[in-house]
Amino acid sequence: MDTLSRRRFLALSGGVGAAAATHVLSVNEIADAAISRPLTPGTPILLVVTLYGGNDGLSTVIPYTDSLYYSLRPDISYAPEKVLQLDTTLGLNPAMTGIKSLWDKKKVAIIRGVGYPDSDRSHFSSMAIWQSAERTQTTKSGWLGRWVETQPEDPLLAINLGSVLPPLLVGKKRSGSVLPLGGLVTPSGSLARDCSRLSLPSQGENFLASRAATSLRNLLNISDTISPILKLPVPAAPDLPTINGGNAGGDNNLSQQLDVVAKLVTAGAPTRVWAVSLGGFDTHANEANAQSDLIGIVSSSVTRFLAQLEPSGRSKDVTVLVYSEFGRRVAANASAGTDHGTSGPVFVIGDSVQGGFYGEQPSLKNLFKGDLAVTTDFRDIYASLLEGVLKAPAAQILNGWKGRITSLLRTQ
Amino acid sequence: MAISADQERLALSRLYSRFGFGPKPGEFETALKNGFQTTKKSFLVKPSTGDIASDTAPLVIDDMGPRPAAGTFAGVEYSVKIREQIRDMTLWWLDQMVTTDYSLNEKMTWFWHGHWATSIEKLNFALPMYKQNNTFRENALGNFSTLSKAMYNDGALQYWLDGQENTAKAPNENLSREFMELFTLGVGRYTEEDVKALARVFTGILVGRTSGDVSFSARRHDSSPVNLLGTTKSFTAQEAIDLLTAREDSFRFVYERLWYRFISSTEDFPAAKSRTAFFGRDVFLAVSDFVDSEYMYDPRYAMVKSPVEWVVGVCRSFGITPSKVKNLQVFSAGLTKLAQVPFAPPNVGGWPAGEAWLTSASAQFRLSLAQTLIKSADLKEFKSMKPAARSLYLQNLLGVYKWSKRTSDALTIARLDPERMVLLAINSPEYVVGA
Repeated sequence: MDTLSRRRFLALSGGVGAAAATHVLSVNEIADAAISRPLTPGTPILLVVTLYGGNDGLSTVIPYTDSLYYSLRPDISYAPEKVLQLDTTLGLNPAMTGIKSLWDKKKVAIIRGVGYPDSDRSHFSSMAIWQSAERTQTTKSGWLGRWVETQPEDPLLAINLGSVLPPLLVGKKRSGSVLPLGGLVTPSGSLARDCSRLSLPSQGENFLASRAATSLRNLLNISDTISPILKLPVPAAPDLPTINGGNAGGDNNLSQQLDVVAKLVTAGAPTRVWAVSLGGFDTHANEANAQSDLIGIVSSSVTRFLAQLEPSGRSKDVTVLVYSEFGRRVAANASAGTDHGTSGPVFVIGDSVQGGFYGEQPSLKNLFKGDLAVTTDFRDIYASLLEGVLKAPAAQILNGWKGRITSLLRTQ
Repeated sequence: MAISADQERLALSRLYSRFGFGPKPGEFETALKNGFQTTKKSFLVKPSTGDIASDTAPLVIDDMGPRPAAGTFAGVEYSVKIREQIRDMTLWWLDQMVTTDYSLNEKMTWFWHGHWATSIEKLNFALPMYKQNNTFRENALGNFSTLSKAMYNDGALQYWLDGQENTAKAPNENLSREFMELFTLGVGRYTEEDVKALARVFTGILVGRTSGDVSFSARRHDSSPVNLLGTTKSFTAQEAIDLLTAREDSFRFVYERLWYRFISSTEDFPAAKSRTAFFGRDVFLAVSDFVDSEYMYDPRYAMVKSPVEWVVGVCRSFGITPSKVKNLQVFSAGLTKLAQVPFAPPNVGGWPAGEAWLTSASAQFRLSLAQTLIKSADLKEFKSMKPAARSLYLQNLLGVYKWSKRTSDALTIARLDPERMVLLAINSPEYVVGA
């Protein structure tokens, strides 16, 4: 029996009762299905952009008419004429021209003062809180990992760019997948057969060993599906100048990550959640240039990404969430940097978004021990995105959370 | 409790893979013969300074001194030399892990590197990192308070966490916060006020950028009294560190970290368990306490090998010296792709553990790096033996507790092809994840 007809046969028989023989083939079967069942156009997609290190909110969305802003931050403030003004009180960092143009098209929601009660200033604790959506670390799963578990099993459902799985996508029993830049090389021939043998479940084995086996299984699956797509050229963004690539970054290069996502979304990968990230926001010293460079990269990469999707029509389907684990202290330290703070702005961007400001801007006058107040709980945003974008039961995933951001998304 | 042969094998497998970097050829069979109690005694060794010096291959790293003007030939040479120093130092340490006869001490050196995680990415110069590495090695199994004070005087750590920016006029909290959160107490065991107080105590440090030498500037130091964890006085940094490391929270924290890296990164540390050995702050006693515990026999506590642990383990089993690997560039790139390169942790929290290393990407990169390593492996003995004996031989060579049926079947199918068999064994779930 040749491979193809045997595969068809096993597919028809459902692979039941023939686990050892079917496994490698059923894996290929799923891979075939991924190519043959592209995501239906119009299916909403969520892109999560995590900014590691604590992005300085006051250098991102700038209260450029508040004299307190200038007196508290003499060395790292932006003059009113430099700021990209959004209204009569707030403006964007001068490097964020891309997001400003999207704002003008009413595609950007800026949610102000986002955090959680009793802020934890540890990078690790705070990021764990944001990624798990749990104030106290009772669960070890991520909010989108829990979403994965509400869906039918599919390793292509939620993908992180970069080789280490962030807690965000970790579920209790099932998790999202990871895709390193450049994609995966498909094991083929006898190596593929060997790998599929090693990937079989084994009775009574410990949880971690079974995860190791699953990772080999998913490797065969994902690499088969995605590698051919990655060989395609990056879709061109029609209304943006070409950005000079040549930047040999690792996982830190946000636009490289988004190039890969753009190709895959364009090709119709059945993936509904993408996670990308950029690090380096922990600007304790000499902040102004570093933070501006980084937030500029975020702005230009996201803008370019959405433009790249326009020819395929998928740009309408994508909603982008940009967040960081905390904002920074209001007063600068004397190293021309800022220490760990509390709340910060969160961006939600896309065609489905009702552009504008949400949440209250924290006052610079009434600080709590030198820190900004939290005026919006981050879980309100998650709940709104779970319901509005992923059409998922937010309360179940967020432990009964009731808050929402009213009219964040356009009703379709 | 009565220990079965099966449990004995599990404990030995854990002893070698977790408290060392895996067995060298023949070691595991000998250990099985001698039993866990006897093996444990010879394994739990705290080498003297002289022992460490004779066990450690010499490495000389010059102080690079000031950088020549940009755009000159000397400037280019300078940059090239920095890169070479970093590469040589990284391979030197990997060689050290592979060849050492003091496995426990070297494993603890690696543990402390992940604990006081400092990265060459910000330091840029090898010498400060090399000095830090030797501080870890010399204090690996010593007194935790002594180590903490040595780390305060470590130029690499100070520079990494902006210690040189922390002055009386302009306190910078980066070092003081991480000192309590990640290094000595653990999150939530201090207040924001304590962070600010400790930052003031820590003011006044200057760091030689290329040498890593630390000096103290009284002019930049804030000597006014502070309230630190309930005690108000004008602290010296050493006094403050004594106060931190004498706290019960600090003992608990060190136990939690040892637990997380040596016993289980998925199950919580059974905190109710009273652990008294560490009250002298003696790390050797704390580590021995874990080796002596019932946790060694408990099937719940599987551990994933991190990429470096996996690579070093393979090298030890197959007589591979990392600096002599046939395709060095591919080897180095392999470690980078696996996202774990010594001296370059991703952030001050150190490397992740557990499932983070079990992604499809890691599986792919492990397969590919394994193929590179096998080209440098000494397989003479393995190839000369009967195919039927090969599976058990690999199991003992790698110190694996037990092959599952799935892996056993895969190995049997590959038994006539020694390289392929080795490839499968070192990529098997049972080797990547220690039972």
